[in-house]
Amino acid sequence: MEKITIGHGSGGRLTQELIGKVLELFPPQLVAQDMEDCTFVNDYMAMTIDSFTVTPRVFPGGDIGKLAVCGSANDLAVRGIEPEHMAMSLVMEEGFDLDELRGYIRSAVKVCRELGLKLSAGDTKVVPRGAIDGLFITTCSVGNRKTPEPLGMTRLRPGDQLVVSTSIGRHGATIGASRFNLDAEGLRSDCASLWSFIRKILHLKGLRCLRDCTRGGLGTSLCEWAEGTGLGIEVREEGIPVSEEVSAICDILGFDPLYLACEGCALIGVSPADTEELLSILGEDPLCEDAAVIGEVVEEHERIVGMKTRIGGMRIIDMPVGEMLPRIC
Amino acid sequence: MSKKDPSRIEPILKAISKLARRPVVLMEVCGTHTVSIFRHGIRSLLPSSIKLLSGPGCPVCVTAQGDIDAALSLSRMKDTIIATYGDMLRVPGTSTSLMEERSAGRDIRIVTSSSQCLDIARQNPGREVIFFAVGFETTAPATASMIVEAADLALDNLSVINFHKRTPPVLDTLAREPDLQIDGFILPGHVSVILGHGPYSFLAHKYGKASCIAGFEGEDILLAIADLCLQIEGNQPRISSVYPRAVRPEGNATALELMEKVFRPGDAIWRGIGSIPDSGLVLRDKYSLFDAAVKWELKIPEVAPPEGCRCGEVLSGKIEPLDCPLFGTACTPLKPVGPCMVSSEGTCAAYFRFARGGKPEWKK
Amino acid sequence: MCLAIPYRIIELLDDNRAFASTGNVKAEVRTDLVKDLEVGDPVLVHAGFVIEKIDQDYSEELEGLWANIRELAGEDQ
Repeated sequence: MEKITIGHGSGGRLTQELIGKVLELFPPQLVAQDMEDCTFVNDYMAMTIDSFTVTPRVFPGGDIGKLAVCGSANDLAVRGIEPEHMAMSLVMEEGFDLDELRGYIRSAVKVCRELGLKLSAGDTKVVPRGAIDGLFITTCSVGNRKTPEPLGMTRLRPGDQLVVSTSIGRHGATIGASRFNLDAEGLRSDCASLWSFIRKILHLKGLRCLRDCTRGGLGTSLCEWAEGTGLGIEVREEGIPVSEEVSAICDILGFDPLYLACEGCALIGVSPADTEELLSILGEDPLCEDAAVIGEVVEEHERIVGMKTRIGGMRIIDMPVGEMLPRIC
Repeated sequence: MSKKDPSRIEPILKAISKLARRPVVLMEVCGTHTVSIFRHGIRSLLPSSIKLLSGPGCPVCVTAQGDIDAALSLSRMKDTIIATYGDMLRVPGTSTSLMEERSAGRDIRIVTSSSQCLDIARQNPGREVIFFAVGFETTAPATASMIVEAADLALDNLSVINFHKRTPPVLDTLAREPDLQIDGFILPGHVSVILGHGPYSFLAHKYGKASCIAGFEGEDILLAIADLCLQIEGNQPRISSVYPRAVRPEGNATALELMEKVFRPGDAIWRGIGSIPDSGLVLRDKYSLFDAAVKWELKIPEVAPPEGCRCGEVLSGKIEPLDCPLFGTACTPLKPVGPCMVSSEGTCAAYFRFARGGKPEWKK
Repeated sequence: MCLAIPYRIIELLDDNRAFASTGNVKAEVRTDLVKDLEVGDPVLVHAGFVIEKIDQDYSEELEGLWANIRELAGEDQ
């Protein structure tokens, strides 16, 4: 009798495996096609759902309320969908502090205000003490696309450039630092709503697709694109923006920044012709200070992501297996 | 993370190419080297004449199944807190692992330093804290320090299940193996910080093997490979070091004294290899109060390796992962059997990635 | 075997503890294994313990190896 482990929730191969086990029980006619960060339910409308169980619930750069709205809104935004409606479910542990809850809801409202996102359905549940750890929030968001055609990884072609909108791994590093009592001044989660800059690049004809790099980090997103398209990807270590603080946390705990969760970082696939203009538009947004071209889509080594290392070697980037654990070896 | 000048790399690679005209077999015996070599893409830079083997260097991954089973049995005791480094969570016992036990609700906590166990013990006076001590000589002094302090504080609710292992004996086993044609060893940089150069001298004097102590940056590892090639080409095997910024030839005397005070050598079983004499560190009788095996009268079962597992031969470089009948079927990164697959950068785990899409031909 | 990274000592707390920092991250480390540390010393830390002081003037020791490398690589030095 197989048990679910915490690794199944970390993004990467184990999560893929778990999703597969759930999907295979649905007859094909009852499963939507092309489920990326969000799914089109008809030509224009798309929806997505996401759950937030993070502890600590408050961290430098945000809290679970802000995360919950940004999370599902970003899943829509990366496919060129303007988030319009949100359904929110709150599951609380008996004894949870009402003022604490209010604080998180206020954070959520702040993001809703920025986006013009309407709360259109909600549900609350309380479970006995000990049944869950404090508070779980689930948000389901719906919106309409603002692009002439749906964005998606199938639009990628060899030669397309890959761009990240900001430095990677800040959310994962912040949570890691907090869990293992490391005092990292200046380290904050990148938790943010991406629609603010994504809406400014949707007119670019050469914009192929975007991805919200959450669980499993940039590395997992790159692998999903390579495996989903059957194309190869090559990135350059030198080109991937990693902040000094994130680097230090990774060194200390033995993490690889490629696999640390981001909550405000978009991976963008764009044609060579439109790359410069993309970077120029991103450069005007404070959320995209460290935006950079990190690599490209290639014909060779199908389905594999290769990285040119700082010393000029080549290594494979694969999906992580299970939870990233601090190492001493 | 230092920003190394990439133009320093080119001359090293040129030199290596010139030196390695004939086939050369090198082995690294450090889990952190295995990971660094992978992360920097070192193999893609070396000429095809150099074969770089990953040896049994991950002390976590070579922890025997029987040892893990015994340790896991402790985690099921009432009112027990297990403290462990993160590395240990995934290593499988016969039927379960720390990760799975944690999923089942046992109190298993990740620590990043042995000294945190003292805090946990003091904060939980009614409960027993058991520390899973793993690692080679780099990590053993930290455990020794914790035990001495626990003794000074007369803590009665803290004990250690000790899996510490020693590096020189396994090097001896590998060097003397006739089937293995290893020309040189890349020696573990941080173990050497503690041990110094002396304990490795038998590699050159007794076995005529080249060896070089290396750090973990890409440049460090390439320098070590160049140095090894020089030794081999000139037929002048010795204990060399390209990590003088951290490794003193005499090692760390304070750490060595502390280890001597708390531990003595004892036999130990290495996953995939079997028993190697004097290759483990055992708690001295003086500290038996803190020895979980003594305190809880643990019987460590000798568990036969799973049928078909050929990890020992992969670890020692005798066969390739594809030659092992369990590779890719019964033994995968998601469900690893032996250490070569348990370690995320172990020989078999690394091969598994290639096996998925074939070995990629990198564009030059 | 083993992840040890460079830190700088920023404050000595008592006989066997200190504050050290690496890349803007501060941590408390144990100093039982290395005596006579001073504020500003670059050190290697493994599993929360300082295991050695880093010697910043080490390059002389590698001169011989680098000379060989440059010669083989065909550089005029």
